[in-house]
Amino acid sequence: MRFAISMLSFVALASIIGTVLKQNESYESYIIKFGQFWFDFFEVLGLYNVYQASWFIIILIFLIASTSLCIYRNAPQVMRDIQEFNVKIKEESLRNMKYSSQINMPKNALDNCQQVLIDNGFKVKLTNKDSAVLLSAKKGQFQKMGYFFTHISIIIISIGGLMDGNLVFKAQEHFGVKSIETEDLPLSKIPKTSWLESTNFSYRANMLLKEGEIQSVAFLPRKDGYLVQDLPFTVALKDFEIKHYSSGQPKSFESDLLIKDKETGETVRKIISVNKPLTYKGITLYQSDFQDGGSKLKINLWDLQMKSSSEEMKSEVFKINPITHSGKKLLFEFEDFRLFNILDIEMNGEKVSKNVGPNFTYKVRNESGQAVEYQNFQFPMRVNGAQYFMSGMRVSQQEDFRYLKIPADANNSLQGFMIFKNLLFSSVKTNEAIDRIIKDTSENSTNDPQAFKLSLEKVIQMFISGGYSAVAQSIEQNIPAEKQTEIANTYIKIIFLIANNLVELYKQDNPDDDLYEIDDLQKFIQDALNTLSDRFFYGHDFYLELVDFEHIQASGLQLTKAPGQFWVYLGSLFLVLGIFCMIYIQEIRLWIFKKNNSNKATLAMSTNREHLDFKTIFEDLLEKLNNKV
Amino acid sequence: MMRKLNTDLLFFFFLLLTGAYALYSFHSYMDYYEMVILVGSILGFSWLGKFWQVFKKYFLSVFSISLLGVYLYQGNLANAETNFILKYFLSSQSSIMWMSAFFPLALFTYWFYLFNQQTFYGKLASNFTWIATIMGMVGLMVRWFESYLIGVDVGHIPVSNLYEVFVLFCLITALMYLYYEQKLNTMKMGGFVLIVINAAVAFLLWYTFSKGADEIQPLVPALQSYWMKIHVPANFIGYGAFAMAAMISIAYLIKDKGYMVDLLPAKHILDNMTYQAIAIGFIFFTIATILGAIWAAEAWGGYWSWDPKETWALIVWLNYAAWLHLRLIKGLRGSLLAWWSVIGLVITTFCFLGVNLFLSGLHSYGEL
Ligand code: HEM
Repeated sequence: MRFAISMLSFVALASIIGTVLKQNESYESYIIKFGQFWFDFFEVLGLYNVYQASWFIIILIFLIASTSLCIYRNAPQVMRDIQEFNVKIKEESLRNMKYSSQINMPKNALDNCQQVLIDNGFKVKLTNKDSAVLLSAKKGQFQKMGYFFTHISIIIISIGGLMDGNLVFKAQEHFGVKSIETEDLPLSKIPKTSWLESTNFSYRANMLLKEGEIQSVAFLPRKDGYLVQDLPFTVALKDFEIKHYSSGQPKSFESDLLIKDKETGETVRKIISVNKPLTYKGITLYQSDFQDGGSKLKINLWDLQMKSSSEEMKSEVFKINPITHSGKKLLFEFEDFRLFNILDIEMNGEKVSKNVGPNFTYKVRNESGQAVEYQNFQFPMRVNGAQYFMSGMRVSQQEDFRYLKIPADANNSLQGFMIFKNLLFSSVKTNEAIDRIIKDTSENSTNDPQAFKLSLEKVIQMFISGGYSAVAQSIEQNIPAEKQTEIANTYIKIIFLIANNLVELYKQDNPDDDLYEIDDLQKFIQDALNTLSDRFFYGHDFYLELVDFEHIQASGLQLTKAPGQFWVYLGSLFLVLGIFCMIYIQEIRLWIFKKNNSNKATLAMSTNREHLDFKTIFEDLLEKLNNKV
Repeated sequence: MMRKLNTDLLFFFFLLLTGAYALYSFHSYMDYYEMVILVGSILGFSWLGKFWQVFKKYFLSVFSISLLGVYLYQGNLANAETNFILKYFLSSQSSIMWMSAFFPLALFTYWFYLFNQQTFYGKLASNFTWIATIMGMVGLMVRWFESYLIGVDVGHIPVSNLYEVFVLFCLITALMYLYYEQKLNTMKMGGFVLIVINAAVAFLLWYTFSKGADEIQPLVPALQSYWMKIHVPANFIGYGAFAMAAMISIAYLIKDKGYMVDLLPAKHILDNMTYQAIAIGFIFFTIATILGAIWAAEAWGGYWSWDPKETWALIVWLNYAAWLHLRLIKGLRGSLLAWWSVIGLVITTFCFLGVNLFLSGLHSYGEL
């Protein structure tokens, strides 16, 4: 008993560790978190997978052993207690009991008493003593069965749990028969020692299936590597579908599976979803997650740093496209595509969840291996009353995305912004705009037009080469402090004026073009200037516009073989039964001792667990008996 | 005797008829298991009504007021803003606000009664608690209906997130207390038990106003299961009972230290109340955990994944198992067990809230 309790306390303690230390993360993330020294230390203790660590399993085995021993030692006594009527008791001890009383007992009254007791659910036995009769009665002896049920349940549940643990593999690993594979190899190259046969007793394995793909193995993540689990059947993913609520949140994930038995060729087709798994040959297939399965992407590559038009690029998620840019090699690594994106958006002052359409994630890696991560949305989003194409960028996974906002034109396209960019980068066009400004202002100005023109050119050139921050820097260096704000305001006005004239000129030259028929054109131009200024913080020169896609998904399945499950459930049933018996059945024993020559008898009642109402029970019963005699 | 039997039977037939009507009108929306749950509820509530006579009144009050709320909606969610009664009393938010108002009121009145000892105030406090419990339950029932007004596929029983289970916690704890109050004829414990309930109310209000948690969200796929209807309420009967046990233990300890000796019920009564509460809680918590395991086997691919919530449920369970062992097997009584049950509440609270706050896992439906 004491041993079992210390074992249970150990289980509790170990469990706590397991909840505080995140389990089954990648080894790298542990090293980052703890440093090499502590990482090694914790690894030796098995703290990254407490519940499968050898010492945890040994504790469980001890628990089973000690509980079994406990049952073995106590069971005979308990059984005897349950059956026994306790007929050896002396009148003396009855008188000394807490609930004891003298009652009148005429000649044949004992029979009546017996009947009353039976009516009240007692079992009764009469024993003749020398010159006396002892009536022994008992009730609720099932309470003692509680002991059996609960303790057997602990054993059954633990055994069930062990059956579904990885004991067999642990042994195999210990004797060098099996080993964990830590490298990312194609299936055919994975050594046989890392394969588990399809006859394997129990496992929880994962499988990632692309739409249209067929597979016959699953993977078990283990420590810093994995094992391959061979399956007795193949699984094909016919289709994967995500259904949505009208608000856009996901409502269900469904995989249409075709299973084919490797031996008999028998096939089963079924759609599984979360909470609706499929069991075939003792193996249960669950919908556990999903990913992109290599969607095809058609992309326009825009260079934000110079006057140019877009280039088309075709790629797929998980593919890498190399390009050469000003003599240097860049890698575009496509990582993810999402068809649905639910974001909290402000709408008329209220926050609403809304689907903002597809986005994709990619990295741009330079020759020295450094990468910047981007996430671009296909369609513009409404922010503060205007539409923008949003592009998130970050240098490391730990950061949040910072967004470059590109204003959308009247057609909700990028065209307007890109044309504007090219206009600004074209010295012919900016000169035209500057001339136009000078013509407008020279009529009522005393300034020297030539000097004015030069200063306009200088300002716009600064802006083009370094954005607002270059302008600010130049002001800081060249202008006395007290005039800086004033000059800065002037420069900003100049930049805006030129930009505005560029657009006006464009509209004059292209009267049929309605790109700039925007309600608030001034704001658009301001935004476009901001974007161009922010491009210097964008990491790379390129903006990738998603033009078209073919969505291909992959479904994450989990395959579980858990023969111990039945035993765990059975044990649980025993557990509940046992607790009921222990708590809600009250064992009561009662004796009436009558000397043959007396009209009185001694009555006593006892229980092994006295609750508050025991006194009332005693008094009620006493009254009933007195009434009968 | 005859009369009593009759009302029990009447109540049973009433439930049977309502259930039959529900089954007849809505069977196309129910799966097999939900029908079983419906029948189970009819039997369960009938039994409860017989076991605890007042429950029938409670049930009928909640039933009729909720029905009025449902009726006033006229199938249109917007009525929550335009209909006077809905707006100020019966929309789920208003009615839960009424609950949140009456629980503090009841708390103060119970303490007033404790020092003043006039039965009138005790009865008043008790009635305030009843009103709060009715309004809270009406709030949940109407919320259930509101979720269907948002969309037929959005509709679900309101036990799916932290906001909803907090209301449930308040209600269950209060109901259990009211049962014991009546059974043991002591209104003196109200001031203690209502402290936990009001702590929960305070949290609820903070959660509502700072996080907008009262909004009805559709269910994520993992929660779309009839198991939710059983697993969550069973858990909260456990939590409620453990919370009540801890508060009574506090009263016990105060008396044990020689304070408020004349004001509080006898020590053995307190001791016994603690035991009964823990016993009930333990049974339900056991069942809830097992049902959780069965559900987990269906939703997460394994009956036990050592997810933090699962693990802490195990720790809570082990803790109270030890408590019951000490009392039942070793026959221990008194202040040690009282302290233990107070600490038990700390562990339980960690399982309830701490896990959501500090640890992440599969069970993160109630994230803060
Ligand atoms: C062995 C398995 C499980 C155990 C031991 C377990 C334990 C618990 C406990 C102790 C609670 C109490 C409420 C709380 O602390 O927040 C709870 C609540 C809840 N459980 Fe489980 N659970 C299990 C499986 C599941 C599964 C499989 C699901 C659903 C997929 C689930 C869904 C919920 C929900 C929705 C709540 C209430 C909402 C909330 O607290 O946010 N549980 N569970």
